[in-house]
Amino acid sequence: MSANSNKELKLLAGAALEFAKKELAPNRENNDRFPFGPFWNPVLEKAFELDFFHTTLPEEFSGIGQGMSSLCTVLENISQEDASLAGIIFTNTQAQEIMRIAKSDGLLKKAGNAKTVKEFLIAFPAFNNPSEVEHVASASKSGDGYTVSGGIEYVVLGGMAAQAVIPARLDGQDGYSFFFVDLSANGINRSDPVFSLGFHACPAVDMTFNNVKAALIGEEGRGQEYFEKMADRMSVAAAAISLGIMKGSLKEALDYCTKRFQGGREIIKWSEMKMILGNMAVMTKNAELILSAACGATDAGKNGWEQCCRAAAIHIQEMACDLTTDGIQVLGGVGYMKDFGQEKRFRDAKQAQSLLGMASLKKVQYLESIAG
Amino acid sequence: MISRSEQKTLLNRTPRFEDMLCSLYAAPRMPGGVVKETKKVVAIARKFNVQVIRARTLELDKKMHEEPDYLAWDFVREANRWGFYSMWYPKQIGCKGYSFFSMPPFIEEIASACLGMANLIMVHYLGVTVLASSMNVRLIRRLFMDTIEGEKTDSPCIFSTAITEPGAGTDVEETELVDKGNITCYAQKVPGGYRVNGTKVFISNGHLATWHMLIAYSDLKKPSENMVVLAVKNGTKGFSFGKMEKKLGQKCCPASELIFNDCFIPDEYVCADMRMDMPKTGLSKKDLAASLLDDTLAASRCGVGAFGAGGARGAFETALKFAAKTKVKGRLLINHEWAQCILAEMYKNMLAARLAYMESNYANGVFGPMAVFQYKPVYYFSKYMPVRFFNLFENFFRKPVATKLLRRARLLAFKQENNQITAGLGSFCKFSATDLAVKNCHLALEMMGQAGLRHDKNAEKILRDSKLLQIYEGTNQLNRLNLFKCLIARDFPQTVVFDE
Ligand SMILES: Cc1cc2nc3c(=O)[nH]c(=O)nc-3n(C[C@H](O)[C@H](O)[C@H](O)COP(=O)(O)OP(=O)(O)OC[C@H]3O[C@@H](n4cnc5c(N)ncnc54)[C@H](O)[C@@H]3O)c2cc1C
Repeated sequence: MSANSNKELKLLAGAALEFAKKELAPNRENNDRFPFGPFWNPVLEKAFELDFFHTTLPEEFSGIGQGMSSLCTVLENISQEDASLAGIIFTNTQAQEIMRIAKSDGLLKKAGNAKTVKEFLIAFPAFNNPSEVEHVASASKSGDGYTVSGGIEYVVLGGMAAQAVIPARLDGQDGYSFFFVDLSANGINRSDPVFSLGFHACPAVDMTFNNVKAALIGEEGRGQEYFEKMADRMSVAAAAISLGIMKGSLKEALDYCTKRFQGGREIIKWSEMKMILGNMAVMTKNAELILSAACGATDAGKNGWEQCCRAAAIHIQEMACDLTTDGIQVLGGVGYMKDFGQEKRFRDAKQAQSLLGMASLKKVQYLESIAG
Repeated sequence: MISRSEQKTLLNRTPRFEDMLCSLYAAPRMPGGVVKETKKVVAIARKFNVQVIRARTLELDKKMHEEPDYLAWDFVREANRWGFYSMWYPKQIGCKGYSFFSMPPFIEEIASACLGMANLIMVHYLGVTVLASSMNVRLIRRLFMDTIEGEKTDSPCIFSTAITEPGAGTDVEETELVDKGNITCYAQKVPGGYRVNGTKVFISNGHLATWHMLIAYSDLKKPSENMVVLAVKNGTKGFSFGKMEKKLGQKCCPASELIFNDCFIPDEYVCADMRMDMPKTGLSKKDLAASLLDDTLAASRCGVGAFGAGGARGAFETALKFAAKTKVKGRLLINHEWAQCILAEMYKNMLAARLAYMESNYANGVFGPMAVFQYKPVYYFSKYMPVRFFNLFENFFRKPVATKLLRRARLLAFKQENNQITAGLGSFCKFSATDLAVKNCHLALEMMGQAGLRHDKNAEKILRDSKLLQIYEGTNQLNRLNLFKCLIARDFPQTVVFDE
């Protein structure tokens, strides 16, 4: 997105990009080895200190209380170098948003007051729209609280966060509700990290809950409503991750093309190559314009901003997948290797496309939202 | 209504009948036995998929993530035990002698279960093709016997092909470009052989292979006219392995750096040399080199097309399996109309990829350098004539004159229009089928949501594996240009390619 709209955003963009260049780019390959290499705790701690996790958290909960433009600026710039960290921030913000929308102030306050990143992080099934899948987790009332049982797949950060926000269906009710679970409680089993296509350093686990105490978020049975409201806003944040990946891929492609010689000239001088790069550049510019418009509409609360966000996300995520394929292609054989960032961006772009649910279904859902 | 000569003239107009309906032209010319053989090898591949690949491929891929330098000997050994590395070697030396025509469908089958495994097999035959295209009968026999021995002793002896250099990838795939390239792999003629210096990169099978078909150049100023094809064995002084690449996918098949440092290769391991031992024909040295390269690439790109069909199919089958048992919004995914249309689209992509490589396969079968073996009398003669009959000629085949005669026959039979159709359709199927494979992977992942992202569900591996198909054997961009050069530009004399 365009970070030039005001000075603050520009500063934020600069800080995030500098952080990405200094802290993320040099160790990209190593960090990406997780779960077969160490987890990047020191990087998370630095990002936490810089308040990248607090961007949209309201001030009364110790956040910075900024709009989506700020969150998108952070995510986009970080994703130019390594989208895994953006995935972590995104997941955490999704959980915060669910609680904010459901007005679970007490829980939000608790989360906001955390002093370390470990205490702060909230796990969430970030790649899932709970109404798309069959519910395997169920909840029941117990005394003046609730307990959760059953399995939930692919809970992002579930292996390391102190708490989770999870969907479960209350016995005897249609639909689902959201619950807040303290992950140090008894009765929780976690799988090994689920090895995935992209976002390796933003890991997920499959979890099973056995009569685990949980706090209801908002009201019973309103899970879908909270999710959709959250997804309206967070779609634009997901799109920002994809845009960052696109920008990173375009930049690396342009750099390489001016240095690599084939046929006696820099490959950028072959007109077929110009065509491919031109296409990548046009896609990136369009994505930037679309995202900027969607962010603007969201922050201004313009009529129909929800649809702007959803449509922007679907389109930008798709473009990112197309672009990153070309991003590898432009580099030829080395694009396929871990020595360069392109293969990771290719994986991350595809991974990002499934944030908030199945890519194909999002289109059907979008149509239903405008046509009823 | 129409005279013979008029018909001929009309059918020779663009698109030539043979170009536009190659399979129709070729099928009746092929021996019926080829169908039987193809059925057999496809069935063998299916059995291998069930018994070997499907049980292990994910586990192995994960292990390679964990230990990027791990060498997948288990897979190679299994393929060796199943006889895959000699299955298309001639019957006359004690092998199955299946027709080359049956290989791409076999490859598709294996690739549908694991593209990396398919590469471990197919790259060996790329080496075989390079060796065979050189028509050096004595050496072909010698190296084939090594593979056979490796099968008997359970110590695989497989081939790699080393063309790409650090400074020249696209350039070494195309004779029109090679003279402008930054070529460094120098084979200096010295008494009794060649001394080689230089480095090759990204060589599939590298660390697992015993023999490496090395393309080097005896004059770096004019590589197009000075190509030398050498067979280099592991352990040769001056030859060593460098790094093994860390790749996005196809992890079980290593991509290796091969380093040559004053490496002496004796004359007996020179497969072909454009400068010295080619029979005199009307062809220039550059055309000779181009024909050797085109012959190899037409066959290998057809194989990569089959990989593409395999990748497209693997993605389709994975998505279908998921859709048939997963409920979305309360209904099986397979019963959502939009999902049915996506599955149909994926089926179409798989089928289109298959038709594409089969068209190229037919072209190679009737117009390629191995066409003679598909010629019915030759096919049945070599299939049914007892091996002892061929043994009578064994001594003759060991002599240089046999190589010379075969080369002469091949070069005299060389026709520009045949070369154009095999090379053009090779490129056509390479980029069409591989683009379709990647497309299908995207569709599969979009349909599977978070399940598609998980390693244990296989779809993401197929995507990572398939992406390579658009790069090796010439990038898909180069292959588009080659199709243009071979099948479009010929009708426009004013056209120049690779020179803008
Ligand atoms: C995993 C793997 C396995 C491989 N296995 C083998 C093997 O077994 N043996 C072997 O010899 N090689 C092998 N290769 C090498 C492969 O064939 C090359 O990577 C490929 O030919 C591209 O060359 P390059 O990587 O040098 O890219 P480059 O040639 O540098 O190309 C970079 C980009 O420039 C474009 N480009 C280059 N020239 C032109 C032009 N004239 N016009 C327009 N665009 C142009 C290309 O299309 C590409 O997009 C392998 C590669 C990989 C990645």
